[in-house]
Amino acid sequence: MRWGMVIDVRRCVGCQTCTIACMQEHGLPAGQVWRFVADCEVGEYPDVRRLFLPMQCMHCADPPCVPVCPTGASRQREDGIVWVEYGACVGCGYCAVACPYHSRHLIHEARGYFDALTPPELATAQPERVGVMTKCNFCKERVDGGRAQGLTPGIDQEATPMCAVACIANVITFGDLDDPKSPVARLRAETKAQPLLPECGTEPSVFYVVE
Amino acid sequence: MAATNGATIEKVPVYCYQCVAGPDLLKVIVKDGVAIGVEPNSDFAEQHPACGKVCVRAYGLIQKLYNPGRIRNPMRRTNPRKGRSEDPGWEPISWDEAFDILGGRLSTLRARGLVDEAGYPRLAVTFGAGGIAPAFLGTMAAFLSAWGPVDQGIGSGQGVKCYHSEHLYGEFWHRAFIVAADVPRCDFVLSFGNNGDASGGVTGVYRHSEARVRGLQWVQLEPHLSITGAGAVEWVPIRPKTDAAVLFAILHAILVEHGWRSVCDVPFLTNMTSSPYLVGPSGYFLRDPATRKPLVWDLDRERTVPFDDRLCVRPAMEGEYLAAGVEVGADEAVTSVSQRVRPAFGLLIEHVRPYTPEWASGIADVPAETIRRLAAAYLRHARVGATIEIEGVTYPHRPVAVLLGKTVTNGWGGYEACWARTLLAALVGALEVPGGILGTAVRINRPAQNRHDSVRPGPDGLMEQSTNATTREGWKGSPHIRNAYRTLVPLVNNSPWSAALGPAHLPWLFLDKDAAPEHWPAPTLPEVWIIYRTNPAVSSWETGRIERELERFPFVAAFAYTQDETNWYADLLLPDASDIESLQLYRIGGTKYQEQYWQHSGWALRQPVAATPFDTRDLTDVATELAARVGILDGYLEAVNRGAGTTIPLRDEGYDHSFKPGDKPGVTEIWDRVCRAATHALTGGRVELDLDWFKRNGAFFVPFSMRQYFLHTTMVAQGLRYEMPYQERIKRMGEELSARLHERGIKWWDVQLEEYQALPKWKDFPGIWQQTAVLRGKSAADFPFWLLTSRSMQYSWGANVSLPILADVARHVKGHFGVMLNRGAAARLGIANGDLVEVESPTGKTQGLAILREGVRPDVVVILQQFGHWATPFARDLGMPNLNQVASMDLTLTDATGSGADLVPVAVRRAS
Ligand code: SF4
Ligand code: SF4
Ligand code: SF4
Repeated sequence: MRWGMVIDVRRCVGCQTCTIACMQEHGLPAGQVWRFVADCEVGEYPDVRRLFLPMQCMHCADPPCVPVCPTGASRQREDGIVWVEYGACVGCGYCAVACPYHSRHLIHEARGYFDALTPPELATAQPERVGVMTKCNFCKERVDGGRAQGLTPGIDQEATPMCAVACIANVITFGDLDDPKSPVARLRAETKAQPLLPECGTEPSVFYVVE
Repeated sequence: MAATNGATIEKVPVYCYQCVAGPDLLKVIVKDGVAIGVEPNSDFAEQHPACGKVCVRAYGLIQKLYNPGRIRNPMRRTNPRKGRSEDPGWEPISWDEAFDILGGRLSTLRARGLVDEAGYPRLAVTFGAGGIAPAFLGTMAAFLSAWGPVDQGIGSGQGVKCYHSEHLYGEFWHRAFIVAADVPRCDFVLSFGNNGDASGGVTGVYRHSEARVRGLQWVQLEPHLSITGAGAVEWVPIRPKTDAAVLFAILHAILVEHGWRSVCDVPFLTNMTSSPYLVGPSGYFLRDPATRKPLVWDLDRERTVPFDDRLCVRPAMEGEYLAAGVEVGADEAVTSVSQRVRPAFGLLIEHVRPYTPEWASGIADVPAETIRRLAAAYLRHARVGATIEIEGVTYPHRPVAVLLGKTVTNGWGGYEACWARTLLAALVGALEVPGGILGTAVRINRPAQNRHDSVRPGPDGLMEQSTNATTREGWKGSPHIRNAYRTLVPLVNNSPWSAALGPAHLPWLFLDKDAAPEHWPAPTLPEVWIIYRTNPAVSSWETGRIERELERFPFVAAFAYTQDETNWYADLLLPDASDIESLQLYRIGGTKYQEQYWQHSGWALRQPVAATPFDTRDLTDVATELAARVGILDGYLEAVNRGAGTTIPLRDEGYDHSFKPGDKPGVTEIWDRVCRAATHALTGGRVELDLDWFKRNGAFFVPFSMRQYFLHTTMVAQGLRYEMPYQERIKRMGEELSARLHERGIKWWDVQLEEYQALPKWKDFPGIWQQTAVLRGKSAADFPFWLLTSRSMQYSWGANVSLPILADVARHVKGHFGVMLNRGAAARLGIANGDLVEVESPTGKTQGLAILREGVRPDVVVILQQFGHWATPFARDLGMPNLNQVASMDLTLTDATGSGADLVPVAVRRAS
């Protein structure tokens, strides 16, 4: 089993619904994002193309962010999810330097959006994340919680990463890349989706459809 | 309700209607009584066209509820002086005191008379946010209905900045207050600045995305590469406000260069449009002297026959024929004709002959070969003759559409562009059929709930049209509200929407005593102005001028979410319960607005999801209390019984949930009865559901037939024709309106009267805006750039500029927060990315940080949305400029429908 995503860039309108849904799902402090959608221009006037590129952790099969960690806090699960054990992280930032996709984010302070924390900010605060490295974890709580209830990630909303659930253009397909019958594996095969920066050799689990 | 880790989690179904593309359905996640998140409502994945999803703004609802920058209590002004530098000195008061103040004002005003000496209502009410306000206003409309005359036409930007020409002419031609492409069945779209991926809501984005992957070819013609342009197969960087020139040239290519007989839908043009009608020398249809029916030339019998002569199978479309009859002109003036005349279609061909692609190329900066290529592609994709079966009915299938966007569909040139677009559909039979262009809403005609029922046979084989009369007897020469829509704009009619669709900036323009027009009632200020979700000090042109006028308003009561630039000048702030704090049942589904055509229709509930953090009130309770305080409670309840505001009567055949005189119901009782009445009426009495049911389930649907999407079947069943290409009625109403105004000595509307043309001509539309410099004694050459605006999906409509979380995500989208300009043009001006630039127009200056892009024409700068806040919390720190700060509000920039456009000639330089 290897969790992964196909991101169909042809569909994306850069609305950032996925971005805000991720921030909400993980109760991120003000100013933090684990994913966002880049607004890119290619070419020169008047031959220009504009495209929107969702960016997040690629959950690399060969993740350079894991072996560089001096404490073993940066980890990879059997199913491919790369995550951080907050309790073991000392916030040294080696992993962030090692990541070619700029996907790791150190939370220096848990700021709220206003002078004082609002009731929802208080209700979703996770103080254990302050001073440590954080990142997209493929919503492992949703994936694991959903599977425990017999649900299928990528099919059932409650077991699927929030960005994919929230996306209003069906850009993000999540599922088991190793199961050839899963929607994500089929879409990857049909569209010949490709990883970003393959030359980095990290074997990402996130694939993009551009044309 | 579920308990996890000791916490109680509840998911409360509500709708979001923060933009006109709603409502969309969501659940609010509530943890131990605190709303913490939002998720799609997958319970309705089957009924909702975008699988129950909601967009980025809906996720902002949580912060919107708990925003500490909100107005927390009612407040009254203690500083009698008003001005930007005058602190209002807000003093918190109780709701009871607030009702005393407002109720007292209103009662005094009522005692003095509802209308002032100039004939204008003393009470004015402005609900901003265009079409979304009714989903939040509870029973406020019933209060206004019971009150009597109210001026609802003092604009806040809506009405003059919307898709104004599309609204008015679209509804006139095919009941299309909004024109949408039938995207799921469409293969080719020519989009002139239509930014549906930013403005079409969840459904629009979802549909476009599916269509792109299916292979829909979308060509985007616009001065800067928008969100929607990003998904197009081709971007054509057209010069601003020249869209009509390119559209005319496409008409030329089809009608003159291709030979229309071989490429157009000839049966459609012959039988379903007024193309064959003969036109006399004065420009009116040639008519049978006895029956007054328009005549056509029967090529087989070689004589004129009435248009509806069933034996006529080959009416002439071109040529010249010696014929006799009468013309009926303005004010029923009848002229006998006996001479050579031509069919309307033949006149059209002559009309577009000079509009060659080469001609348009010089105006629009679009190569002639591009125009020819797009015309050919349009014809190729139209598949004239193809059919499609939908729900057992065989329709023509014409998978091509021309869409228009903001600034194209409003202000000068809007009529011409809308006409050409509708005509392009008619030429290939792509009007109101699968794959083509459709109307989704009716707002000017009635009934509003069913487009098909709003189609009734009118004169000359055309649809009946409801307009404001221009006849000597029927014309309303004295404006009954300050924007004078019944007097000046026949097409806007007199529906509940008309006041907001009138020339809503005229009151501002005429308030200035130096600008007061001749032979017109003296401008007066409303004695009480109630405002809701409106911020004209930011959203109207010439914001500084608006502020100066705001200082003079004697009493302003503002329903207020936060302090803002307009309610800074208010006397009373009333914090209404916001989106997920208040209760309202609202219609959902069917066809409406942008891309909103569903296979279900029904009702959805918005409800309080958690204890409200501040001392806010539901607007239904406010309306009831105000009605009681001013002594109109029974009239108000009778209006509620009639369905004012709720759109559903509480008593009708088979049910009676009405209130009795003397009742004083609370908000839940009112909406409980609306829930019962609405479900009873929807199901013919099969189902009656109460408020508790809706609170648990969120929405109730019944199937909605796709046959409702296409007007085609109703037009065929009623034997009606579309009024294309020749606008005889428009011409007549213009001439009559001209006569009426001139009879009163009014000359200041003369330029507007020129818009009423039977076959619209190209005018130098950009030049009209460039003249603003000359009018102010400056040189047009000193303002070589065009300043435009564009939609931010994150910010539009939602009253959410004070939410930092939206700024956090919006900054990933180009344009937030600065001034976009072309990289090469910037280099020539010595401007680097991030430099502070000054944008100067003939009337003012503003500043912002440069955002350099390739996807902007070198003669264009773009500022997103309408920012420039100085009072609104958080937004005032964004440093974002606003086009309205430098746009001028002029009568010369106002078209015949009363709209203008967000277009400003400017100079750009590095700020010193
Ligand atoms: S994208 Fe970066 S953080 Fe994510 S697994 Fe790869 S190297 Fe690690
Ligand atoms: S929600 Fe979907 S369409 Fe919107 S930015 Fe994210 S991936 Fe793109
Ligand atoms: S803001 Fe508009 S498109 Fe977005 S969820 Fe709300 S109603 Fe739908």
